Amino acid sequence: MSDYTIERVKTGIPGLDELIEGGFPRGDTILVAGKAGTGKSILATQFLYKGATLYNEAGVLVTLEEPPRLIRRNMLRFGMDLAKLEQSGRLAIVDLSPSKEATPVTIGEYPSFDLSGLEAIILNHVKKLGAKRVVIDTLSIMAYKFRSRDILREEFFKLCAAITRAGCTLLLTSEIPAQDTGLGVFDIEAFLASGVIVLYNEKISDTSRSRSIEVLKLRGSKHSSRIHSMRITDEGIRVWPGEISPGH
Amino acid sequence: MSEKTERTEDEEEVFGESSIIEIVLFKSDSCAFCPRAEEVIRETIEDFEASVFKFTVINVTENPEAAEEYGIFALPTVMIGGVSITGIPEPEMLLKMILSAKVYKKRGAGE
Ligand SMILES: Nc1ncnc2c1ncn2[C@@H]1O[C@H](COP(=O)(O)OP(=O)(O)OP(=O)(O)O)[C@@H](O)[C@H]1O
Ligand SMILES: [Mg+2]
Repeated sequence: MSDYTIERVKTGIPGLDELIEGGFPRGDTILVAGKAGTGKSILATQFLYKGATLYNEAGVLVTLEEPPRLIRRNMLRFGMDLAKLEQSGRLAIVDLSPSKEATPVTIGEYPSFDLSGLEAIILNHVKKLGAKRVVIDTLSIMAYKFRSRDILREEFFKLCAAITRAGCTLLLTSEIPAQDTGLGVFDIEAFLASGVIVLYNEKISDTSRSRSIEVLKLRGSKHSSRIHSMRITDEGIRVWPGEISPGH
Repeated sequence: MSEKTERTEDEEEVFGESSIIEIVLFKSDSCAFCPRAEEVIRETIEDFEASVFKFTVINVTENPEAAEEYGIFALPTVMIGGVSITGIPEPEMLLKMILSAKVYKKRGAGE
């Protein structure tokens, strides 16, 4: 492949590839932002599941919030058996959720630390599996775990660079606080990523809401500039490229 | 015979463990703050009798599994008796952690 054509990574979300010239640019960092319950975790996990089952790309799911057993249980509802992928070495779930028993209680923090431990943990799995896809779900939790925002910002850049340098396409999720208009708690989420996807679940009447998806930016790509309908079906997330969301 | 021997060993182990405070430092090869953190810990525990502590250094670059097991990914992090602090620790903070670990152990042993 020449240097001028961008290799595309199929997202595994039916309908989404059509909005972005065939998929995410390989080796890019993509941010999936949205308010609580908009489907960020499902979308990110589906990206890994489909990558492993349809496109022969192993994946690493770093969970900072939801415990793995709940992720496995929830994804099984969509017919996605993560445990099976883990057993066959096509998926690793890295449990860094707060529910973990062995994790000590943090009682203090000095502004003299880095995230080299996180990098080592993730790259260890990437190497073991030969992974091509990595998900970190969710970046926002770091803002509650650590006070030193300046360090976090710098460390995120380093972390994303290290993961993509290892040949992986990286998906980060970020929760937009309920009353917020930005893309997350750090205000840097958008700069961190070369692509930004926003998920919505907006009220369209007193009694109903409508899910939609927007490709806010995707470097090097001619992407749709509309807000498209999205649904969470029994088979996971699906996008309707021809349908413009009624909420917008 | 085996029963009696085993019981004695168990008792010794429990007793031995309750008097030792374990300090674990997580560091990495690339972490710029880690050498200083290790220094501060060594200097702080120097004043105590060596037998009071078990100081373990885990290099996450070499052993990422250990860091993952404990859910520790910001470095340096010091763990003492179920609590941890991240960044270069202040000696006073370390002493506080050591003290509360000691009290906790004593209380645990007395019960
Ligand atoms: N089986 C299902 N069928 C249809 N919709 C579902 C199903 N399971 C979950 N959902 C919807 O998906 C939402 C959860 O999706 P997800 O966990 O991906 O959200 P999220 O954006 O990651 O939220 P958070 O910010 O809280 O982590 C639920 O609130 C629910 O509306
Ligand atoms: Mg989520």
